[in-house]
Amino acid sequence: MLKRVLAVLCAAGAMSGLASLPAQSQASAKPSQIVVNDSGGATQQANRKTFYNAFEKQTGVKIVNTSPVDLGKLKAMVASGNIEWAVTEIAGPDAVTAERMGLLEPLDHSVIDLSKFPEHLRNRKFVFPKSVYSTVIGYRSDTFKNGGPKSWADFFDVQKFPGPRTMQNSPIEQLEFALLADGVPMDKLYPLDVDRAFKKLDTIKKHVAVWWTTGAQSAQILIDKEAVIGTAWNGRYHSLIKEGAPIQIEWNQGAIKESAFGIPKGAKDAYWGQRVLAAMADAKLQGEYASIIGYPGVNLEATQHTDPKMVPFLPTNPENLSKQFWIDLNWWADNGQQVQERWARWMLER
Amino acid sequence: MSASATTPNELRAGALRRRWWRRHRDGFGSLAAAGPALLFLLVLYLIPMAMLLAQSFEGASLPHYQKALTDDLYLRVLFDTLLIAACVSLLCLVLAYPVAYALSILPSPWPAVGIAFILLPFWTSVLVRTYGWMVLLGRNGLINRMLSDLGVIETPLPLLNNMTGVLIGMTHVLLPYMVFPLYAVMRRMDPNLAQAARGLGASGWDVFRRIYLPLTLPGVLAGMTLVFVLSIGFFITPALLGGGKVHMMAVLIEQQVRMFLNWGFAGALSAVLLGATLLVYIVLRRLLRGNMQWS
Repeated sequence: MLKRVLAVLCAAGAMSGLASLPAQSQASAKPSQIVVNDSGGATQQANRKTFYNAFEKQTGVKIVNTSPVDLGKLKAMVASGNIEWAVTEIAGPDAVTAERMGLLEPLDHSVIDLSKFPEHLRNRKFVFPKSVYSTVIGYRSDTFKNGGPKSWADFFDVQKFPGPRTMQNSPIEQLEFALLADGVPMDKLYPLDVDRAFKKLDTIKKHVAVWWTTGAQSAQILIDKEAVIGTAWNGRYHSLIKEGAPIQIEWNQGAIKESAFGIPKGAKDAYWGQRVLAAMADAKLQGEYASIIGYPGVNLEATQHTDPKMVPFLPTNPENLSKQFWIDLNWWADNGQQVQERWARWMLER
Repeated sequence: MSASATTPNELRAGALRRRWWRRHRDGFGSLAAAGPALLFLLVLYLIPMAMLLAQSFEGASLPHYQKALTDDLYLRVLFDTLLIAACVSLLCLVLAYPVAYALSILPSPWPAVGIAFILLPFWTSVLVRTYGWMVLLGRNGLINRMLSDLGVIETPLPLLNNMTGVLIGMTHVLLPYMVFPLYAVMRRMDPNLAQAARGLGASGWDVFRRIYLPLTLPGVLAGMTLVFVLSIGFFITPALLGGGKVHMMAVLIEQQVRMFLNWGFAGALSAVLLGATLLVYIVLRRLLRGNMQWS
């Protein structure tokens, strides 16, 4: 009797042990939820409707969202080893800084398929090029009924196009715009001639009514008529145009750049972070995302899946793309601190 | 001499100890009661602050401090920050003093109603209120449109995206911090004092200057200190209402922390700001103390 009981117990134990082995290893590797940090707002909603929902469906792992994007927090997390994020968005030149400081896990190319990306992006080691956006000129079409500014030279020409302006409160891009206005060709911008740029900026300073700090502010300034010509990220203008606002976008000489994602160094859910990025690399999902918000991914096949009505508003639309220039993030990572100080000093001058 | 025997000296020492304990018992009791709060402050405030400051020291040469204290960019922004904080404190005082006075003499239930009106915006998010001011103060905002419709002005007043906008926005956000300390002091005032002074022939202005104002000075000091210290750390209101043209220290510190990951320099800037704040606070206290005694 005792023997039989023991045998049954052993068998049960062995069976449960066997059965639970794969399940257990999966359970310890597979969390019930992971944290994905992005810039929030409208982009987060679009991410949710496309990439995040697809990831949850594929893996059964829930995504919890946090925001905003914060390089300082990323550094603090990696330094303390207490890493909350499985994957995070990283803005502009910060991605280069993060990579250089060793704050990111390498991308796992066996999980993330970059084969349909433009050639120069296929071998990315740490920074995932998620989508691109562009800082473009926008103006009130009711103020400039016979056509608005067509270039940065026009933007800086207050005789030809009178009225208050708005620009971002940052040297990044404003220096490029000033040099373009001063006649530097788009392919000869870098390395930037900082002195020449500030000299040109002097000429427009008193016509800039608002130096904007947040994306929401940039487009609202035109709606409120605080300014009649301005700069903003293309998606910001597009969402207002969609609502019927009298705003026109000028793509010529727009500053195009990527918005990136990366996996914090030492993240415990790093594998699942790679899987999120894999979803973000998918052509169909990228097309759906761009249809919602106007920020295209860089998968070359994504356009086939994008709403044709949206295509004219995409910075990667060939007609728009050829008119714009790519921001050199490496130059800014090298020179950002120094130029930022000069910018602050310039702002203090009357 | 047995071990249990006590000498007169020991007796006296025991009595002294008991007397010392009686005198300090309350102190220890309140210290124990404040313990959790002190621990909270120590762990979540003082230790992180000490760690940030520790990062700002790099060997003996202190390059971060040298830069923070000699570079005219940082000195000018520091000066502007303190100046804005001082202006906001004064504006709050001028606006809050009559309000607090009215609340302190009104019959029930009006004080409660008034306080509710002060508290409602106090509980609203600063960001929402800041955007609200943008709607009101803009070139095509409610105020400018109303004034031009009434024919008072021809061109819109520059109320937004400059110092005016920042001062209005910050004063609005910080006003309750001035009203409540003043109200607390004024409500405790004995109205007989003023009546007695009047009875002895003092004019209204004399009563205010020699009785009311000196007696409410502790409230003035408390309110101004609160508003001043809070103003110094302001960030989003000046950024949005100043149109990028008003510069405060918190913005520069945030840039170092978030954009350039230069935490050493951020620590040095914070230390300089903290030092300047403490200095102003001490001077203000001295001045007002002296004033009170003189009165």
